[in-house]
Amino acid sequence: MIAVLPPRNANCTVERLAINAAMTLAPVEAMPLMTTALEAMADPAFALHALNATTGSVVPALIVNGPVARQLDIPAGAGCLGGVAGAAPAIGRALRLVMRNIAGQLIGVTSQSVYGQPGRVAGIVFAEWEEMSPWAPFAERRGVSGNAVTVYGAMGTTNICDLVADTGAGLLEIIGKSLAYPAANGFLTSSAFSETLVAVNPVWAKLIARDIPDVAEVQALLWKHATLPLDWWPEPYHEPFEKAGRILPGGTVPLVPSAEHVFVLVAGGEGNLHAAALHSWGDTRTTTRPVSHAA
Amino acid sequence: MALVTILDPSSLVGSTTDDPGPDVQWLSGRKVGIRVDILWRSWDWVAEEWARLLEADGAQVTTWRAQGRTGEAGDKTLAELSSLVEEVEVMIVGLGNCGSCTSWTIHDAVFAAERGRSTVAVTTRHFERLGRGIAAQKGRRGLRIHVLPYPLDTRPEAEVRQIARQHYPALLKRLGVDV
Repeated sequence: MIAVLPPRNANCTVERLAINAAMTLAPVEAMPLMTTALEAMADPAFALHALNATTGSVVPALIVNGPVARQLDIPAGAGCLGGVAGAAPAIGRALRLVMRNIAGQLIGVTSQSVYGQPGRVAGIVFAEWEEMSPWAPFAERRGVSGNAVTVYGAMGTTNICDLVADTGAGLLEIIGKSLAYPAANGFLTSSAFSETLVAVNPVWAKLIARDIPDVAEVQALLWKHATLPLDWWPEPYHEPFEKAGRILPGGTVPLVPSAEHVFVLVAGGEGNLHAAALHSWGDTRTTTRPVSHAA
Repeated sequence: MALVTILDPSSLVGSTTDDPGPDVQWLSGRKVGIRVDILWRSWDWVAEEWARLLEADGAQVTTWRAQGRTGEAGDKTLAELSSLVEEVEVMIVGLGNCGSCTSWTIHDAVFAAERGRSTVAVTTRHFERLGRGIAAQKGRRGLRIHVLPYPLDTRPEAEVRQIARQHYPALLKRLGVDV
């Protein structure tokens, strides 16, 4: 058995995963990746039962690190979040079928998602472009070296476009400020915890690292800029923020609790101009696991 | 002739019980826990009204607010829930008024019901079906669910409080209180 998957709380076995994967033509070599991803989704910290039931549009996104990404042709470059030919959509679709056929996630029945999102069809499956990253691999920074998969509850993908910034600090300011909009998941007064993820294209990553080589400092600057003044929200929102202890001394509210909850990785095409933001859902916590099962 | 084998992509689920758990029967002297959360002000108002009425009927009410559900905050929340369930004889758990909060409401209600407490989960009308489905999948198809009107959270406070008072007799009936 791989995991017990809610809401049906059904046993997901390797055999059942394989049946669903066969329907999408996902490569058999991807079985270890899919198995590990399902194990990660079943981690209590990921709160899969709530994620599968929510009115939100969330889907578990897969971020792949290590040689397995190349071996499976998981996209890290141009069009990595959707549209590239390769195995990623089949892998993503197989996991979506597992959620429907095994976990029992059915729109209008066990899932109350008001809109859903395109990622609920064939998943969001991409890799970090490690060779182009000035920083240690994303999974390694989360404690897992080599082949790894990270599952991240993504409310969707949001484009961040800029043609003006020409310094690392300037880019981080515009990206950070672009992450922060009043109704983002992290700003919900009911969000006891949240994360956010930024995929930076390789050209921007190089520019940022030229000026700010330490990725922890990059995260800190993004966190600093991803705040909004309390008075951006109407008065009824102020008390819940105060009760939750969310207001910083300067009268601003941060998108996520601390800089470590701003995830940064390198992915995307070399045409630059764009970054991608993926806001988290609820208080789901991102989970990273080594991909080590035999195929 | 070729033989085609069709494999089942789904999985079987475990058994489920229709047992709603013990009836409350009487309120005087009974310890009642009300679980609220950090999402719905309307549920706070309903809980306040029901707490007042329960206390007027002789019950001792403890209101507990569920907050973070993952990481260390989640461990703390579960420990607090466990302590509350140990203390009380009756649990009123809400509010299922969205997808995830319905899932957590049923999660906490089943937690109490499985420990033998007289338990009722509370949802709004739109999320009743989800609540019943999740309860069944958690093995408690018979879990008591009391249903409030939908939408609830956008109504004025006075109207919500009136709804709470109007629903109180039905809540007691659902809990098996001998009125």
